[in-house]
This record gives sequence, structure tokens and C-alpha cells, in this order.
Amino acid sequence: MKKTILVAFTALFLHACDSGGPSSPVAGHMADPEAVKRGRLVFAGTCGAYCHKLAPGQGGVPYLFDCGWKHGGSDQQIYATIRDGVSDTQMVGFGGVLPGGDDDIWKIVAYLRTNSTCEQ
Amino acid sequence: MSGMGQTTVGVLVGAAIGAAVLYGVLGDRPSGGDPTNKEELSAELKVGDVPTHWPAETPIDNGAGPVTSDMLEKASAARDQWLHYSGDYRGFRHSPLEDLNPENAKKLQVEWSFPTGTTGQFEVSPVVHDGVMFMTTSYNRLMALDAKDGTLLWRYDHVQPKNLRLCCGPVNRGVAIAGDKVLMGTLDARLLAFNRKTGEILWDTEVIAYTDGYNLTSAPLIVGDLAITGIAGGEYGTRGFIDAYDVNSGERVWRHYTVPAEGEPGVESWAGDSYKRGGAPAWTTGAYDPETDTLFWTTGNPAPDWDGTVREGDNLYSDSLLALDPKTGTRKWYFQYTPHDVWDYDGNTHIFLVDVDVDGKPVKAVAQANRNGYFYLVDRTSGKFIHANAYVEQVNWATIDENGRPVVDPSKMPAEEPTERVCPSNMGGMNGAWTGAFNPDLGLVYVSSVESCQHYQVGISGFVKGMPYLGGMPIAIDVEAGKAYGHMTAIEAATGEVKWRYLDRNPMMAGALSTAGGVVFTGNQEGYALALDAKSGELLWNFRMGGVVRSQPIAYEIDGESYVAIGSGGWSTLRLLSGGPTNIPDGGHLFVFKVPK
Repeated sequence: MKKTILVAFTALFLHACDSGGPSSPVAGHMADPEAVKRGRLVFAGTCGAYCHKLAPGQGGVPYLFDCGWKHGGSDQQIYATIRDGVSDTQMVGFGGVLPGGDDDIWKIVAYLRTNSTCEQ
Repeated sequence: MSGMGQTTVGVLVGAAIGAAVLYGVLGDRPSGGDPTNKEELSAELKVGDVPTHWPAETPIDNGAGPVTSDMLEKASAARDQWLHYSGDYRGFRHSPLEDLNPENAKKLQVEWSFPTGTTGQFEVSPVVHDGVMFMTTSYNRLMALDAKDGTLLWRYDHVQPKNLRLCCGPVNRGVAIAGDKVLMGTLDARLLAFNRKTGEILWDTEVIAYTDGYNLTSAPLIVGDLAITGIAGGEYGTRGFIDAYDVNSGERVWRHYTVPAEGEPGVESWAGDSYKRGGAPAWTTGAYDPETDTLFWTTGNPAPDWDGTVREGDNLYSDSLLALDPKTGTRKWYFQYTPHDVWDYDGNTHIFLVDVDVDGKPVKAVAQANRNGYFYLVDRTSGKFIHANAYVEQVNWATIDENGRPVVDPSKMPAEEPTERVCPSNMGGMNGAWTGAFNPDLGLVYVSSVESCQHYQVGISGFVKGMPYLGGMPIAIDVEAGKAYGHMTAIEAATGEVKWRYLDRNPMMAGALSTAGGVVFTGNQEGYALALDAKSGELLWNFRMGGVVRSQPIAYEIDGESYVAIGSGGWSTLRLLSGGPTNIPDGGHLFVFKVPK
């Protein structure tokens, strides 16, 4: 019984987290090659090189193409992680600083999803 | 440990747990094993207070006295000392020890060794004075060791914050020594002075907020009563600078920004307000010419590294050689090696203040094997360009015109869909992370280098203070294809002509030591210490130390016997970009060799 309540509570909590953020334009971006390209360039210029790598097992920074999301794997959760950062790590928030505004963050998510090696 | 007291991080602890858990805790650390986060370690292990400082209970005094300005100026002649990171003010790293010659080099044997206990590149050039070696490690451990037998005399482990901003590993390359003080810069951008005899901290100055993307990795340079240091942080959109601190008080005397502010000369070389995030870090140790009382310091890449579209212009004073007044920090002149750099060709590789004949005329020059693949000679009295020659086998990004300005091949610019093979790689050529050496008797400069090409991808960056600001990335095509290799190259300083090359199947990324006996010492990524004939490049001797060699060898004499010290220990993550074995475990160890009687 306790287990059932815990599962239900967890599901509610996760749902609340998901529904608390903005709606996701990621599916639309994934269908637009220009948007995916934009996401790739922003990733290359902002996230890659010395931090997130294009191949797994390189360095201590999370690899982002295997769906092993440490801070939630919904579109909104990934978006929020990039926008707000992760406390006590080198990952600070990129909200409000990308040249294309926060829509660039959604395009990063679209690029990551398009190139992920796992089943979505 | 006898004879040393200890202070600790004050964390209460409980019952002991097994060593297997210790391994797990360290293995989970994103840094790859930062052993100096003592507070966290102590709390997690619950085994007892973890010491961080072991001063000497009895002051060390072997009678050599304090290090004077005269000693620092005449360091190249001192047999029993190694006082500067670069060997002497001119950057020669040339030992006067004649018995370190080709015949004796073949007989070298290990006299003593010492562990660092840390991972990450072990890039130190130790300093030796009064029979004591001062050795730093990655993560800013500082140890005083008996230079004859390796006895630990005092030790300090700098407690690092968890949120360091490190582009390229937890590096420290060594200390400076002045009077009875030893000075070390830290990864959290502090400068500390220690009593050389006891290890007691005399002052501790914050240079700048490390959270903005800064750290100190290089050894300071002492000129008079000033300790001069640059900073690292070019990958974080910082504003580079060189600082001078009063050795006695730790107070800052001057700061020279390497990127101009609004209204200052050179700011017009930055489009819009891009100068505000211009980078140009000064992350290596400079040189000093007492004759003209001029300080020479070099600078690194503009930010963002690979996207030049957001910073059109030459981006002064990035990738430059600066001549400064050491008393005020005022710039006398500059020479820019790579204007508008979009390849990460930091201009701060090792510099040599050489006196050479060029076309029959004596010239006081600054020689440098630049990361961009060219060996430069610049007049050190005026900043006038003399000549540049390719010193690596693969250079195609530009040629150099008669004024020293690169003529860039437009096809070698970073691209959204890069297909052009661009040489050298962003690691070099040579790189400021290791030193070169100069044999004044032979007129030869010795440098280890990377032979590798890359694709350079341009991207789009947003700037966030304290975060990498890169604008793209290099794609290590040669590393992935197993094509990256290395050389130790002997270059004639006066002409730039390559006299010989020693080939290694991996990029060579260790510093150099030259001796009056005609030997060049270095190391390779397979973990060998190497001795080469200075005239021919012939391999005379090697010894497998184990770890990837990234340190700066030194030599000194005690009781009439010559010693050579070389550190072993790499950082496997970096080798994904540079090339080299990835299966050799990280972890530092210093080896000291001696010719047996």
C-alpha cells in the first residue's frame, strides 16, 4: 500500500514538474532542418569543445546523446537544466544569454534528440 | 613525517570505513580524482581529520642564506641551484653542469623518487635552493624535499573549492623563490607566500574571483621586490592581465590588462564591445632583461576561441609578445603573432632572450617557437619582426609576410561544416604548457611539439560569466585516425633553420633541459625520461618512469654530484584532443637521477 502511494505521489510530482514549464516546441524544431542546424551550431559553440563531448566516455562531463539524463529527460526538464543550470557544478544557466534568445535552448534540445543514440 | 607538525580541515568524524569506499568516492569525482577536497573527503569517509599542512618543526637551514636579486640575475651560472621556472631570466633552461654529457648520460640511475598523490598533469619545474627542492603538483600541493635524498621536509595541500573553473586540467607548474619566501599561485586564483624554511604561510592574497573563470597555473617571476604573475582563463571570456605583487606584503603594485578598455589604444581592434570578453590570458611565465630593465610576457587566444565573427579586428593584445616596464607594468611595445586568431593559437609558448648574429649584425632578440607552427625572432629592443620559419612539419593555415603578419589561407578558417585539414592543431606545435631550452654554446633552441592537424568547427556562443566561451570546437581528426605524432626539434636561433628532429610516435608534450655537457633532457607520453645528444639528437638514454611525461626537467649539483629531476604523470582526458596513449593511468611521481660514482 505504501509503495502504491509512493508511486502515485511520484507520478503526480513528476507530472507537476513537467506541466509547470512552458510547452515544448521541440517536435516542431526536430522537423525543421534549419532549427536542428541552429541547435547544432549553438551546441558546438557553447556546450562542446572543453565540456560536453560528441562521443561517450570522454572526460567527466555528462555525455548528452545517450538519454542518460541526470536532471530529468522531458523536453521541459532538459530545457530547464540548460536555462537554469545545475547548482554546485560548473553548469550555470544559459537563460537569456544565447544570441537567438531562449528559443536557442529549445533548438539545442531538438539537436540532442535528433542525434541521440537511444530510443526516444 | 617526523619533524613536521600538521594542521587540518576542521571536520568532525566518526567510524572508519574501508579503502574500497575511498576508491569509489574518488572515482565519482568529476575532476577525475581531486584529492585535495579535504573537507568533503573527511566528511564522507568519517575517518578522522584530514591534514592539509605539515610545517617543519625545525627550520631548515643549510647555510645558503636568502635568495638575493644578484642570485636571481646570475642563476644560469649556479651549479647548486635551480632558481627560476625557466632556469634563468633569459629562459634558457641551460644548466652549467659539464658532467651531464653524452657519456655520463648513458649511466644515469634513479637516486630517489617521490609521489604527488594527485592525478592531472604533473607539469612542474622544481626550484632548488639551499639543498632543498620545492615541488608543486596538480591541485596545488607544495612540498619541500631534501634535494639529495628526497626526505620530505614540509608540505602544504591547498584546499580547493568544488567549483573551480578549469579549462584544461588541475595544473600547477611551480613556484618562485625570493629571499626566504616561496610563492605559489593557485587554481582558485590566489597567490600564497611561504617561509621556505618552515612552510609557514606568510601571506595569502586573492588575485581575482576564480568564479569568473580565472586561475593561476604558472610559476611567478621575481624581479626586485616584485612577484609577477599572469592568469589563465582565455576559454572563459575573461579579461587577461599580468600582476605584480610586493613580495614582502603580498599587496598588488600594478596590473597590466592585456585587453584594452574603452578609450585605450587598441580597443579599436575589437568590433563593438567584444573587448569586454576578450580573453588574451597570460598563463605562462615571462622573462626579464636586466640590461634594459624590460619584462617580457606573452598572451593567449582572444575569446571566443573559434568564432571570430563576433570580434572582428586584430583583437589586440591577444597572441602577443609584450615588453613591459617591470616597476610600473607600462607597456613599451608589443608584437602580435596571430592577429584575429580563430584557431586557439595562444601566443604564450616559451620565450628565449637570445643574442644572435643576423645577416652579420648582432641582434638582441626574443626567440619563440609559437603554437601556430612558426619559429619567430623579434628584436627585443624595439619589437621589430626579424623572421619566422616553420618548425613543425605540417603548417598550412598561413604564411608569414615580411612584416611578420600572417597571410591566412581563407579555406583554413573554421567552418560550420568543416572539411579542410588545418595544421597545426590547437594544441600546437609547441604549447605553453611545456618549456623549451636553449644551448648558448651551440645556438640551438630545443622544443617538444605536437604534429597534428584538425578540423575547426565554428559555432554560436552565448556569454555567461564564469562559463566557457568558445564559439566552436576543434575536431581531432588526426588523433582519431592515429596520425598524431611528435618531435623534439633543434632550431638554430639565428636563422630558424631546423638542425635535427627526434621523432616520437606520440605528440611530445614535455619540457626541455639543456646542459653545458651537451645533453638535452625531456620525456615522452609513453612514460620515458629521455636524454638526447644536443648536437645530433641521437637518443643517449631512456628510463621508463611510467606515467605520461608532461613536466619540465631540471638539473642541480650537491656535494659535487650532478642530479637531474623529471616528473612523470599525465591527464588522460587531454590526450583525446592531443593524441597519445589513453591507457596509461594518471598519477604523478618525481624521479631524480644521478650519475653513479
